[in-house]
Amino acid sequence: MDKKRILIANRGEIAIRIMNACKELGLDYAVVYTVQDSKSMHVRKAVEEKGSGAAYRISNYKDPNEIFSVADHAGAHAIHPGYGFFSENFRFARRAALRNRPIIFIGPRWEVIRDLGSKINTKRIAKKLRIPVIPGSDEPLYSEIEAEALAEKLFYKQKKDGIEKPSILVKASAGGGGMGIEEVTHLDTFRQIYRRIQNYAKRQFGDEGVLIEQCMRDYHHLEVQLLCSQHKEIVHFGTRNCTIQSTGRQKRVEAAPGFDPDYTDYPFDARKVLNRMVKYSVQLASKVNYDNVGTWEWIVTRDGQPYLLEVNTRIQVENEVSARISRISKHKTPVNLIKEQIRVAFGERLKYRQKHISFRGTSIELRIVAEDVKRGFAPWCGKITRFYFPEKPWVRLYSQVPQDEPYEIPTEYDPNLALAIIWGRNTEQARERARDFLARADIQGEDSRGEPIVTNLEYLMDRLDDVLKF
Amino acid sequence: MDINLNDLLRKYKSHPYEDHKIDAPHTGLVFFKVRDGQEVAGPSGQWLQKPGTLLYILERENNPKRMYSAFTGRVAGLRAGLEGSFVQAGEQLLTIQHRLNRDEIIDRILRDVLQVFRAPQRARYFFTPETVTFLEKKTDKGLPIAPGDEIIIMSLMKRDSFLPYEGAPGIIYKVYFQQGDLVEQDSPLFGVCPPEKLPFVQKVIQRIRTEWDD
Repeated sequence: MDKKRILIANRGEIAIRIMNACKELGLDYAVVYTVQDSKSMHVRKAVEEKGSGAAYRISNYKDPNEIFSVADHAGAHAIHPGYGFFSENFRFARRAALRNRPIIFIGPRWEVIRDLGSKINTKRIAKKLRIPVIPGSDEPLYSEIEAEALAEKLFYKQKKDGIEKPSILVKASAGGGGMGIEEVTHLDTFRQIYRRIQNYAKRQFGDEGVLIEQCMRDYHHLEVQLLCSQHKEIVHFGTRNCTIQSTGRQKRVEAAPGFDPDYTDYPFDARKVLNRMVKYSVQLASKVNYDNVGTWEWIVTRDGQPYLLEVNTRIQVENEVSARISRISKHKTPVNLIKEQIRVAFGERLKYRQKHISFRGTSIELRIVAEDVKRGFAPWCGKITRFYFPEKPWVRLYSQVPQDEPYEIPTEYDPNLALAIIWGRNTEQARERARDFLARADIQGEDSRGEPIVTNLEYLMDRLDDVLKF
Repeated sequence: MDINLNDLLRKYKSHPYEDHKIDAPHTGLVFFKVRDGQEVAGPSGQWLQKPGTLLYILERENNPKRMYSAFTGRVAGLRAGLEGSFVQAGEQLLTIQHRLNRDEIIDRILRDVLQVFRAPQRARYFFTPETVTFLEKKTDKGLPIAPGDEIIIMSLMKRDSFLPYEGAPGIIYKVYFQQGDLVEQDSPLFGVCPPEKLPFVQKVIQRIRTEWDD
């Protein structure tokens, strides 16, 4: 991999984490940015470390021609898509592989992204392997009549199963990351919500296909972190719990491991459930010859039943919460999954097996966002004038917000400000450290009307008591 | 409506120009097709189907894109040093000094006359699908609007929210954005004319048409 150059086709904190990984691997890199992101730390860091020629201004992160044009001009050997944008776009990955000047796409091969990138297809493959999935549509619906008939069927089934308040979820088929999902609690509101999601899907993703599935209540959202190589090696880095989410189903606090029976009681055998999920995830990965990092998303209901939700064929925001508690024997530091992802994309072997991976302590990730929790997590935009977080050996902080100059939050993107990953030798200690960290954090700023900044720091503090508890 | 039409007309007559900066819309290799001081034309034809003067070619991924002038005017500040080189998105390439025509003067003055509904945030804006359908019909009546009507969707930070119209009831007389445009905070989205003011607006238009020579 010596002297290879990576184009980082993303922004914000993930671009910074990819830069760090490249540096540790001895790789060169270049970044892209839009005019709205000119003040982002990912641009400043790239210029400081690699010179002004390492940062390219593009029109849009979502324009593949821009990315490939810059990749060629920068002489990049590989493109790291981060998360979002092109990370799960099989057409982009295919174009990278098949163009006249091929470029390595740092992610699974395009056929895998195509097959697992679709929630519906994943559901079909899982069903064939007898992996439990949530009842609902297994193809995108475009007809309102068909959709309504299925909605009726799902309501009827829940009533039959004795569920007191049945409900269903209407999702944009092409969506992801919790966007474009609404709940229907009464059949007579279905049509209105269906149309709204259909319009949203058309506007945001250019495809008005909609999925419908039973809405599970009283569940935890878990994930299994896998790493696979091009040499059919598969290892997992355990599970994590992402149950604490905003009303728009955006994750806000994550913890690893997925359940901690030493910390709290569960109405089921937690270790057995986690093992089942890991086993199923590895089974599916093996079936499709998965060849990079990936996340298998699950929900676990109160009766201890896991259901596979989807597979995220990319590095996730919360990858480091799993990495932070994982050790590979003979390695001095915790795993860096982004480094591992880059290595396997270049065709390297893992050089370790599952038996070499051990887990230590608990890690908690806090997503610090400028949003008004009391107003339905409405995004806040304005200027940040002070951005301070305590430095501790047990916390890692990633942010695109500069600490030494005012920063205007771009309105084009989510108002995510920072990620803090906190480690403790057990869940109690991790929780207390997270509390200490939040108490000392200080973010100040104001919007265009002079109103003070609104963030979710207080909300995060409140939710720490709920971490890992059913 | 408390405006002094004479003052407005005098202002525009003393300086009937607007400078339009031409930036590279995306990355690529740039090849100029005009020179400094050259007069260029904007699009023409009944449906503006004939492109304006070819300003430059921007080549990206071996796809040459011909970039035509959207304005009539004179080329100024052409950055000839960029010829044949790779430019980044947003790089300023040249400026066109454009003389405002009669319709543009009407448009500018109407912004002072109509009740303008402005973008509350820098965001992308859409009319609701029902409104689009109505506007596409292009009826002479115009779209009636009353306070509280939700005809605009603001897409900010990937979230859609309906904006209730605040202002006097009337008809939407002028729309200042295209579906999905990124609109700066406080920029006009549309102009509303109360029915009783319609004769006045028409008088303004008539007067400019009579007094302004293109």
